[in-house]
Amino acid sequence: MLEALEGSQAIARAVALCRPDVVAAYPITPQTHIVENLSRLVAEGDMHTEFVSVESEFSAASVVLGAAAAGVRAYTATASQGVLLMAEVLFNIAGMRIPLVMTVANRAVSAPLSIWNDHSDSMAVRDSGWIQLHCADNQEAVDTTIQAFRIAQETELPVMVCMDGFVLTHTMEPIALPEQKEVDNWLPPFEFSRRLDPDDPKSLGTLVAPDFFAEVRHSHHGAMLKALDVIAAVDRDWEGLTGRACGGLLEVSGPAEAKIGILAMGSTLGTIAMGMEHRGPDVASARLIKLRAFRPFPAEALRAACDGLDHLIVIDRAISPGLGGVVGTEVAAVLADVPGAPRIHNHAMGLGGRDIPETVYTDLVAAIADPDAPAFSIFDADLQKLAPEDR
Amino acid sequence: MAVLTRGAFAEPGTSLDFKTGNWRSTEKPSHYHAKAPCHAACPAGEDQQAWFAKLQEGHPEAAWAELVAANPLPAVTGRVCPHPCETACNRATLDGALAIHNVERWLGDEAIRFGWAYPVSEPAVDAPDVAIVGAGPAGISAAYHCLRQGLRATIYEASPETGGLMRSAIPRTRLPRDVLDAELDRVLALSGITLELRTRLGRDVSLDELQHKHAGVLLAPGCQSGKAWSVDGAVPADLHEGLHLLKDFVDHGALPEAGDVIVHGGGNTSMDVARLMKRSGAASVTLVTASGLPGPGTEPADEINVVPRELEEALEEGIEIIDHATINRLIMKGSRVTGVEIMSLRKLPGQDGRPHRVGFEGTERVVSVDMVIPCIGEEVDAEGFAELVDHGYLRPKDRLGRLNRDRVIALGDARGDRGTVAAAIGDGRLAVSALAAELAGQPDPAPDLRTEMKSAGLNTTYYDHLPRATSPKRAVAERTFDTEIEGDIGRAAAMAEAQRCLSCGNCLACDNCWSFCPDNAVIKTVELALDGSHYLFDLDYCKGCGLCAHECPTGFIQMVPEEAGAEQPA
Amino acid sequence: MSVANERGERLSELRQKYGREPLPPRAEGTADTPREAQPKFRGLDSGHRACQGCGEALAARLVMESAGPDVMIANATGCLEVFTTPWPQSAWRVPWVHSLFENAAAVASGMEAAMKAKGRNTKVLAFGGDGGTYDIGFQALSGMLERYHNILYVCYDNEAYMNTGIQRSSSTPHSATTTTSPAGKERMGKRHLKKDLLSIIAAHHIPYSASASVAFPADLQRKVRYAMGIDGPTFLVVHSPCPLGWRHASALTIEVARRAVECGLFPLVEVERGAVTNVMPIRNVRPVTDYLELQGRFAHLMKGGDARAEEERAHLQALADYNIGVFGLKGEGEDPVDTGGIAAVGRSGRPAGRV
Repeated sequence: MLEALEGSQAIARAVALCRPDVVAAYPITPQTHIVENLSRLVAEGDMHTEFVSVESEFSAASVVLGAAAAGVRAYTATASQGVLLMAEVLFNIAGMRIPLVMTVANRAVSAPLSIWNDHSDSMAVRDSGWIQLHCADNQEAVDTTIQAFRIAQETELPVMVCMDGFVLTHTMEPIALPEQKEVDNWLPPFEFSRRLDPDDPKSLGTLVAPDFFAEVRHSHHGAMLKALDVIAAVDRDWEGLTGRACGGLLEVSGPAEAKIGILAMGSTLGTIAMGMEHRGPDVASARLIKLRAFRPFPAEALRAACDGLDHLIVIDRAISPGLGGVVGTEVAAVLADVPGAPRIHNHAMGLGGRDIPETVYTDLVAAIADPDAPAFSIFDADLQKLAPEDR
Repeated sequence: MAVLTRGAFAEPGTSLDFKTGNWRSTEKPSHYHAKAPCHAACPAGEDQQAWFAKLQEGHPEAAWAELVAANPLPAVTGRVCPHPCETACNRATLDGALAIHNVERWLGDEAIRFGWAYPVSEPAVDAPDVAIVGAGPAGISAAYHCLRQGLRATIYEASPETGGLMRSAIPRTRLPRDVLDAELDRVLALSGITLELRTRLGRDVSLDELQHKHAGVLLAPGCQSGKAWSVDGAVPADLHEGLHLLKDFVDHGALPEAGDVIVHGGGNTSMDVARLMKRSGAASVTLVTASGLPGPGTEPADEINVVPRELEEALEEGIEIIDHATINRLIMKGSRVTGVEIMSLRKLPGQDGRPHRVGFEGTERVVSVDMVIPCIGEEVDAEGFAELVDHGYLRPKDRLGRLNRDRVIALGDARGDRGTVAAAIGDGRLAVSALAAELAGQPDPAPDLRTEMKSAGLNTTYYDHLPRATSPKRAVAERTFDTEIEGDIGRAAAMAEAQRCLSCGNCLACDNCWSFCPDNAVIKTVELALDGSHYLFDLDYCKGCGLCAHECPTGFIQMVPEEAGAEQPA
Repeated sequence: MSVANERGERLSELRQKYGREPLPPRAEGTADTPREAQPKFRGLDSGHRACQGCGEALAARLVMESAGPDVMIANATGCLEVFTTPWPQSAWRVPWVHSLFENAAAVASGMEAAMKAKGRNTKVLAFGGDGGTYDIGFQALSGMLERYHNILYVCYDNEAYMNTGIQRSSSTPHSATTTTSPAGKERMGKRHLKKDLLSIIAAHHIPYSASASVAFPADLQRKVRYAMGIDGPTFLVVHSPCPLGWRHASALTIEVARRAVECGLFPLVEVERGAVTNVMPIRNVRPVTDYLELQGRFAHLMKGGDARAEEERAHLQALADYNIGVFGLKGEGEDPVDTGGIAAVGRSGRPAGRV
């Protein structure tokens, strides 16, 4: 049954269906509606959880770390500066292989201060060792959130569910929420074999000397690679239950014969698809690639998705200053040794919440023709707004 | 090779695989049972620390049993001993020495009162029988220690009574006769001791006979004959020698009458005589002694050799004492003394390095007196065995008292280098241990060469302030000739006093080492700690920080070089 | 109902209540080694790699004896964490987790929330050094206290960042030298005062907070037991000398800690709901120089003929006197639990004179 729900409200309901024992969060725009909705569910008795209202995101991450280590399902949500304040803990959680789920309501990172959407925050903790899944719409966000608890548990890795701030979190959409019973049957009770237990008192978080540190990283990297299969399988399993899938690792749409591909993460792809639908008669169509799993990075699936393309436009919602687009750079690296690989056109856009219009599709396709175009640009930057020396 | 655990977790207590003991560089902790100063100072060889430990645990009978392992006569020594143990006691530097003699006396009296059994058993019927000459403290102690060593003992006593000087020369005010009788009777009643009274060596039995009949002969005849006394050849006609005067008094209650009296000497006899004369009505009694009164000007070795509390009581009673002085000249009217010339002197190192008495010219002064009582010591009455006596004494050739005859050993005052009941008792134990070893074909018992625990070796932080017990005492005006002056401290005070014992050099089982070890390297185990403590060092983990040694109240834990042999089982 | 069933139910009931099954009673003499037979709970075992004479290792062991075994610990980064858990070894015998330097209180909060969610009574402890408590972990600690988690937080105060090589913290006493507050021509060690953490903690109006010292284990362990019995946030700061950082002989750890208390520089106080409810009276107040002279970190204050040294000594003495005055530390007559009385031992642990 569909319900008209705001994205944040839907996420809160989805989280509640997963029955986390401990929720800890600190308010930050645009995540606030999620924690407010969770608080209300707890206050009304619709959700039985220890809700810990912490004094910072740093503590939010630490509290859920402690809770999961003590053997219970735990959840948190944040955005932007909050992700960065958590950064140290996020690396720590992943390094200790603690299963957790966190929603990131993606938002730009200060300075300058911006409360609006881009991917700078989750991108900044790209190498923390968390699984990062990006959601294209609110139904995906709901489904991915529930899937994330199972993925975390099966892989013993923390999962970050990324959804675009405001664009998704504050948007009403008709959402299908599963029944509690369905989730209870689908999501096994939380088990963590290394939990803190007075009957089997393990010590977690030890000091590892150089003689074993490389092995720790190797095993973590291996676990992330193995998680590719788990992410795909869980999505298929979910589809079996609900009839809805989120695209596994990545999802390809559009005409198979297209020579141009466009790859993006999150809600941007919806705008691109609309743009393609409404394009002019002389504008080429494109194969759309929705990258859902950013970490682990689905190299095999990506190579297959790009088969036969001449051009691949990669849209980044963040930049790595001095290099360019992060997703674009990574895609280029993955395709580098593929014979006849498409030419990569990497653009950042929609930074700090700048609106991405439908027309961007046509502009992107047109830009392919420019032989002098740089390998990377901030596509929607208006250089006229800059002093001459800063252009 | 270790296999990485997920997230690098570790299993509990696995640090035990890591032996931090090899961090120690030069020193390790060790239990060292140093001698407590009281024990080191005790002529009878008692380990006061050991028996106080039993008392601290609340076991008076066990404490007494520990005490009588060395000294069978605590009710006597608790009254008459000059208790060098208390002088040595480390607690003196804190809040006053332990009242050891009071507690010893209380234990002795309790044993008599309740008939506690001496920890000895009857020797085999065919056990070697040892002859003991003299039933004074040395002889009785020897007989008792024979039983402890599995030997039989026969005591030959010249007089009709046992006790020697304890009976004949110690006033009842210090040692009531019922106490003496009770304690001696209990020892002499032990199976394995035979007593032959009125049997005098040299008159009724010869040394050859004794040697023939017995496995060994222990000679403890005491000193019975006064030394000849004169000053530059002058001897007063009515000379009263101190010990004879005392014996006469003890036997018949008679004392000579006198106005102003000088007593010459520096031992317990002179003190007893001075006090008796004063109590009998002498106008003044002055003690002249070459030794010094305790104080800053007197070396410990030069101190007057009397029971400290006797000295204190004597001063209370009005006895005057001129120390570091001697009688230089007697002033006679006819053959009667009318005065003395006194001169100051000091014991100073001579050219041969040994101390000599040096009189100081110009310090002479004349004092008018009616009577001079010399108390300058006695000699062995050698009648019948003169061949053993050398210049008045049985001078032994070794510390155990051996004489130049096989299995003949000298004990007590007759040795010439003793002077207290406690020393005589100690001789009894030493002589028997030597004889027993010889009879068993074993080497001499080794002397105890352990070091003594001085107060600097203690950590006195851990001792609470506890004032010394005081004993009841008769007021000067109430002191008579036959009632004991000092009273009993009683059970409560004795038990409380026991808690004051610092346990110098020995484990208190206070748990400090166990509590304070940052490395859990002290294992508490009464069963496995064979050294009398409650603890073992786990040297696999001990890092050698030395904290336990510093915080050990008693100095029982000491840091020793790493290569020193372990005193404990591994 | 069968006996086995009944027992099973009883066990699960206990498990529910305490979060664990009770240990089966060990028949006497069945322990494999004397170490295992020790009549105290060994929450922190041997083989850890603390320096010789480490006050912190000792303090943690004493805390564990009184707190364990039904506890779990969140431990901040620091010496205690490093020396107890170099993988694959751990010296702990209780569930223990180390996450980061500044989040022990928050991790503990999560653990406690988990226990609450499970309906278990396993008590959560949080351990940190002074750096992780007075400084970098202070915010998380304040949050934990304010949220009223049922946690005992223990700060092992060795008055500097020892794990990183002796740098000053806000707990370093005035004029002590560290590698970042050295003494020189222009400086006499740390310029600032030791932070009055206990007052700040007390301002949270929590049920119980106290200071303790390794020199007085009986007092320390009483405070731990008291805190363990409280359902709510409690805080203990334990003065734990560091021979390396304070530069004193390893054998003097207890002596140094004792003198800190006896001179008044480290007062032992108990605070309940913001009010001082108890202090340990000092039987014989020592001059601060008795404390300073044992430690190399104050060596620059002990130089004769240096007016600056004299002034700093006077300053420290004034601070000690201030503590003595404010907390009323000077004993009035002998007391069985003053600094002299509580240290007293007797045979078999019995206090002398109190049989």
